[in-house]
Amino acid sequence: MGIKHNRRLWGKVLLLLVVLLIVGVTVSGCYGRTQTLGWSGAVVADDTLFIASVNGNLIALNTSDGGRLWPDVSLGTSAVAVYGSPAVEGDLVYVGGYNGKVYTISSSLGSKRQVYPVDENLEPIVSGVVVAYGKVYFGCSDGKVYALNAAELYKEWEFPTGDKIWSTPVIDGETIYIGSFDKKLYALNAMDGSKKWEFETGGAIVATPLVYNNTVYIGSFDRYLYAVDATNGSLRWRSGVEAGKWYWAKPVAYNNVIYAPNLDGKVYILDANSGSEVAGAVDLKSPISSSPVVVDGKVIIASQEGKVYSLDTSNNQISLLANLEDGGKIYAPLCASNGVIYIHTQTSKQDALYALNAQTGVTLWSLSLTSE
Amino acid sequence: MGELWNAGPMALMLNGLIALSHYLFGSFGLTIIVLTVIIRACMYPLTAKQLRSSQAMQALQPKIAELQKKYARDKQRLAEEQMKLYKESGVSPAGCAVPMIIQMPIWIALYQSIVRVLAVVPEGLLNLSRYLWSWSIVYSMLPLDNNFLWFNLMMPDIPLAVLVGVTMWLSQKMVTPVTTDPQQRSQSQMMLWMMPLLFGFMAMSFPSGLALYWVVSNVISIVMQYFVLGSWGSLARSTARGPVVADKQYLKRITQVEKTSADIGAVEADIVETSPTKEEGLDYGVSGDKRQVGGGGYLPSPRGIRRQPKRSKHHRPKRR
Repeated sequence: MGIKHNRRLWGKVLLLLVVLLIVGVTVSGCYGRTQTLGWSGAVVADDTLFIASVNGNLIALNTSDGGRLWPDVSLGTSAVAVYGSPAVEGDLVYVGGYNGKVYTISSSLGSKRQVYPVDENLEPIVSGVVVAYGKVYFGCSDGKVYALNAAELYKEWEFPTGDKIWSTPVIDGETIYIGSFDKKLYALNAMDGSKKWEFETGGAIVATPLVYNNTVYIGSFDRYLYAVDATNGSLRWRSGVEAGKWYWAKPVAYNNVIYAPNLDGKVYILDANSGSEVAGAVDLKSPISSSPVVVDGKVIIASQEGKVYSLDTSNNQISLLANLEDGGKIYAPLCASNGVIYIHTQTSKQDALYALNAQTGVTLWSLSLTSE
Repeated sequence: MGELWNAGPMALMLNGLIALSHYLFGSFGLTIIVLTVIIRACMYPLTAKQLRSSQAMQALQPKIAELQKKYARDKQRLAEEQMKLYKESGVSPAGCAVPMIIQMPIWIALYQSIVRVLAVVPEGLLNLSRYLWSWSIVYSMLPLDNNFLWFNLMMPDIPLAVLVGVTMWLSQKMVTPVTTDPQQRSQSQMMLWMMPLLFGFMAMSFPSGLALYWVVSNVISIVMQYFVLGSWGSLARSTARGPVVADKQYLKRITQVEKTSADIGAVEADIVETSPTKEEGLDYGVSGDKRQVGGGGYLPSPRGIRRQPKRSKHHRPKRR
């Protein structure tokens, strides 16, 4: 009887272990997985703002009051995450999706026109799309830079890099600059995709490059900001200060000073020619992944926690412009047009767009992007 | 609690993995293998203790049977004597579960680390930076390559899931005790099949980096068990013909002992001699190890041995 009792006890212990194991791993499984929602930035063309919502719709808004110009256009049959800002050229809006497709939508009618590729899917597109010279340029997670014909949406050329591309290309003259996970910054001929030069940093590159005064500024995962000669790809300087975390957002320049936000919550203020610190880094106490904008001599920066700051470039003093914490987190790049800042905030289920006066921080209008 | 976990064990595992991968050619698969070896090496004293404990528990079965027979009508005394026996023999019935319990937070931390380190989606990579310690090698190593051998460490892989099941079955089979109790035997059989199937199933739905940890961990278990127990255990007995026969004889004998304890009053007149030399001469494994029935000095009680009834010279059994 005692033995049987002992065995029953053992059976219970083993059963408990198995249950604990299942519960533990399942809970950790639910906890660890991450959802793709996207963080599309906005683009303004002719008083119309285009933005993609976290539920995969392309939305056209009147910039004066935020009214919808046409019913939201669903990009895919299921929600498509969009990480890059849309691009506008003529009557077409271009947007790249995490499902590996590029879409064109008529900006006047709000109807889908074309999709690339038609039947298949590329690897996820995290990069934003850029339109120039009759071509649509974007980077892809398959490690290639693509150039599509902007009118017909067929591939004109592609350029392979050594790893994934999440960086948005920047076009200056006839050159495209783009970073890759392979730690390199590439300069490509925008016409045929031939490589002009490449420059290797110490870490992966996710940030979008900044081209300013014939110099390309790029932040890397090795926590340094690099200044590279735009003509030949030679290093001009590497920032003397090592940031606390990765450079994710695109830096901005004003009056020969570079403002480089970092995920450590600081904005590094560097001399554009030498890379030395012009002023001490400004600490916003929350990671910065949203690319800032410059409006009337002020750098507008949003931290992930939902606070918007204005950095006065004349004295490098920071002030809180608006607190949008109620709207959720801010990951998307900021958009500025006619003295108004458009800020995309999001939670895990819904997102909103705020239009703020760049000088006063007053909310001109705000609306939910998830529900019409 | 969640913050504590993230800042403590999870961050330690995550940063440790990334830093280790720096010295292993940036291969995250190789990093998981080396980490598994390190974890299992640290747990070796516990594992060895657990294995010896199970071995001793098996060896104690005849003694327990004897106690059961002796105190058949006094359950409390029986329990006391059993605990005393465990204590005297240095056996801890809970010892077997400790390594598994210790490994559970490691699995969870490893799972979360794999998902976070190999962040596929932008939200994941952005979130990862929160957990990184300010070591230069950690920052410059990321993001890590997801591919190892034929599989993507972030995605489930069916051949690897099968390997998880097979290696776990082999590892469990080695230490599955031989028992006569149908209830315990069915329980052992259930565990022998259920755990590999459960882990195999989980491996099919979790990142293969975790499955890689389980496979390597199982292989290490097999090797450790071989060296600690000095044999392939039940694995060898089930694959060799001779030992199976020996097991059957052993099982038969244990059955007899247990049956005897149940109807102790009725067997007094029904006795036949069993040769102790034959018992000692049994070979129980391909490696040559012999089952120590006595469990260290145990001598079969004469009361526990069945004897044939005395028969007359003229008595012959009927032939069919």
